[in-house]
Amino acid sequence: MKLRVFLKFFSCQWLIVLILGGSFISAAEIRVLNWQGYGTDESWALEMFKERTGIEVVHDYFNSEQEMLTKLRTNPGVYDVVLINSAYTGQAAKEGLIEAIDTTGMVNVGDLSPSMRNDPKLVADGKTYGVAWVWGVTSFAIDRGDFKNAPNSIEALWDPSHAGRVGWRDDAVEAVQLAAIALGQDINNPSDLKAIRKKLRALKPQIRTFWSSEDEWNQFFSANEFDLATYWSGSASRSKNAFGLPVEFILPKEGAIGWLDGLSIPMNVPNRNEAKAFINFMIDPDFYVKWDTEVGAPTSANAKAVSMLPPDAFNRTTFSDSKKVANVQFMGPMEDGLREKIVELWQETKAYFQN
Amino acid sequence: MNQRAAILSLITPAYLWLALTILLPLSAMLYYSFLSDVPIGNREVSWTTENYRTFFEKAFYSELMLRSFKLGAEVTSICLLLGFPCALALAKSIRGRTKEALFLLIILPFWSNALVRIFSWTMVLRGNGILEYSINWLLPGTGPLDLMFTYPAILLGLVHSYLPYMILTCYISIDAIDNQLLEAARSLGAGKLTILFRLIVPLALPGIVAGSFLIFIPVIGSFMEPRLLGGRNGTFIGTIIEDQFTAVFNWPLGAALSFIMMGLVLLILFGFSPLVRRLK
Amino acid sequence: MIFLKWISRIYLICILLFLYVPILVMIALSFNESQLYRIPIEWSTRWYEALASNSKLHSATLNSLTVALLSTCLSTSMGTAVALAFFRHDFRAKRLLQVMIFPPITIPWLIIGTAMLVFFFWVGIGRGLHAMILGHVALSLPYVVIVVSARLKSFDSALEDAAKSLGASYWQTTFWVTVPWLMPGIIAAALFAFAVSLDQFVISYFLAAPGFTTLPVEIYTAIRKGFTPEINAISTLVIFLSMLLLLGVSRFYRFGGRN
Repeated sequence: MKLRVFLKFFSCQWLIVLILGGSFISAAEIRVLNWQGYGTDESWALEMFKERTGIEVVHDYFNSEQEMLTKLRTNPGVYDVVLINSAYTGQAAKEGLIEAIDTTGMVNVGDLSPSMRNDPKLVADGKTYGVAWVWGVTSFAIDRGDFKNAPNSIEALWDPSHAGRVGWRDDAVEAVQLAAIALGQDINNPSDLKAIRKKLRALKPQIRTFWSSEDEWNQFFSANEFDLATYWSGSASRSKNAFGLPVEFILPKEGAIGWLDGLSIPMNVPNRNEAKAFINFMIDPDFYVKWDTEVGAPTSANAKAVSMLPPDAFNRTTFSDSKKVANVQFMGPMEDGLREKIVELWQETKAYFQN
Repeated sequence: MNQRAAILSLITPAYLWLALTILLPLSAMLYYSFLSDVPIGNREVSWTTENYRTFFEKAFYSELMLRSFKLGAEVTSICLLLGFPCALALAKSIRGRTKEALFLLIILPFWSNALVRIFSWTMVLRGNGILEYSINWLLPGTGPLDLMFTYPAILLGLVHSYLPYMILTCYISIDAIDNQLLEAARSLGAGKLTILFRLIVPLALPGIVAGSFLIFIPVIGSFMEPRLLGGRNGTFIGTIIEDQFTAVFNWPLGAALSFIMMGLVLLILFGFSPLVRRLK
Repeated sequence: MIFLKWISRIYLICILLFLYVPILVMIALSFNESQLYRIPIEWSTRWYEALASNSKLHSATLNSLTVALLSTCLSTSMGTAVALAFFRHDFRAKRLLQVMIFPPITIPWLIIGTAMLVFFFWVGIGRGLHAMILGHVALSLPYVVIVVSARLKSFDSALEDAAKSLGASYWQTTFWVTVPWLMPGIIAAALFAFAVSLDQFVISYFLAAPGFTTLPVEIYTAIRKGFTPEINAISTLVIFLSMLLLLGVSRFYRFGGRN
């Protein structure tokens, strides 16, 4: 009797050890680099993950893609998992900041919708540099209390009736791309930077303040600092669900910026197997469904996970409607020269904003 | 005991330390400011003066530099206007235990974290914050004040942070003025204003100059305060430099901008040096 | 005259109000229930309870104290030595060296911090605890030299001569005569250095490494990247700690000057 119990116990443990590659015993800790409040740091999820694998997760945050790249460059061998907007995955791979991921054994990768799993921004020469995680759009969100009718045009951000009541993210690429959308230009290769410069300068009377993180957005919104502000689709649903703010996300008729975020493993990763286990967990429907229904999330790249959402979920209704997302332009890689121009353009514009 | 050996063993550790933490880093930064890119990984790097040229070619950099120096001058002047009378009152019209207690009370907040103090202003100034709330409670219908994210908000936060420096330095030099000297001037028929401007201010000049530099220098390099309180109006040369190091990863440009700023500071110190020398 | 006296009292009270109001507001809001800082205040101690289990802030506090303690020991001993050398000896480069001690307070912190970042990164010193101690010691050195020199001004060299004439060596005199006499000044200098280090944000910000931050850096990161009134709670505790420290300093260093 005792022996049988012992054997059972022993074999169970052995199995777990085999599956997790020894992580159960070592009780490893992994370090994740992401935006604040963006899924990977939900405390219930980390508890769930720890229960399943015994792995502790700690976080470090960034406020822009540039800052994320700088953190990877100046801290080699520190992070285990990093969230990279797929527009930057190629650059990170080329600079040798991230490694190719061997996805065998990551069971949930098979459920990713093939177009995203094999997106050329994430996969180069047949090697996966980022595992597709979630996608969404950037445009703007309004305070329902300040609008009779929800606007359907991005020009609302330039509307004089909301002068001094607009929130804007302090990010060069996003600022230029939103102006490009308003002007009907290609966001990844804007044809007329002069027109964009003029459009951005026209924001001077409009902008109340810059925001740099989702949390800051919520604070400013609840302090009634703005009527409308640029925002991300997933964050808008979090502000609504988790914080109870009267937020409505707008998909303008001119289009919006689309993005696909992937999870990558940095070069010289300290805990590769644990990192892979975590990425696999992040694309697990168990995690995603709870994240979207209880907190609010962008749309998962995992088709199976999206199909498990309640039928009236925002991420099933809005983003499954191909007509509504037809105008969305997806962010792609950008040439160094163009990016430098954009960064300088935005700095100059900010200098112009000063009273 | 060989005197030379004694001196060397007393001063060597400290100056080696300063060489490692101040001199060498500044030299490294000077070197970087002439590079075309950060020399890590497989980046191609060459010598260039482009980073300095950028500053002179793009007008907005010098505009922001000027704006930072203007901010420094304004904060310093406001601190002087508020702090000098305060130091005077403390040193000459209050005595004994009250004096010591008041003095401690004034420098106590200076002892709390600078960041924490700026953070408290965001709580006060923000929309629906304490200030708006209490003013609307006292005078209903005043509406929003819109103080947060303005230039005055930055001024307010910085003056609050640095005012104790000015009070401290002015107090020390005013306190050292002999009361008998003031009595003598009074008995010779000097008016209050004459005493103040012909006697107290000149004698307190070392404190005023020291306080001004202790305030001016950190303020022109400030980036945290403008970011937290300034919003759209919070772009200064300090925030641009910080961006180059933490976000944009253009260390060479950041280094060049830093050196230009340091050069200007040294120029100002040099300009004031006849005054400083006279004080000694 | 009485009129002037009252004006100056009222003025002092106004200045004190200006200095304290924001801090009191921050303390009050640490007891507020609402995560989004909504007012009127609903009293609650939930943020202090949350603080008790926030390991990130705990380790940041511990790091702050470690850095402050170690850099205080180093800068106090090195700074005292320098002050003694300036007091006892005349030598050729003395003027130059006296000026050289001040760059840490005459160059904007932003520039010193970024320069250290560039240099430490370049030569492989890296960032983290050791880098921060390097930086904090340099910053507090000038303060130590100033405070200890001030105390030395009233030191009577005859005391040292007496010890020497009784056969004490140079170092015996230093450690058994001069240093004990200097002790109040040294303690004041140490407390100064401790406070400078504890308060330092800019240098720490550039030298912090992932996994090693100090409290000010953690607070800044939180303000920029997501925070709850836990930040108010920890700030409140920091303020009380700093104030205790100041009361300690005032015990050894007369801020009020002559009475």
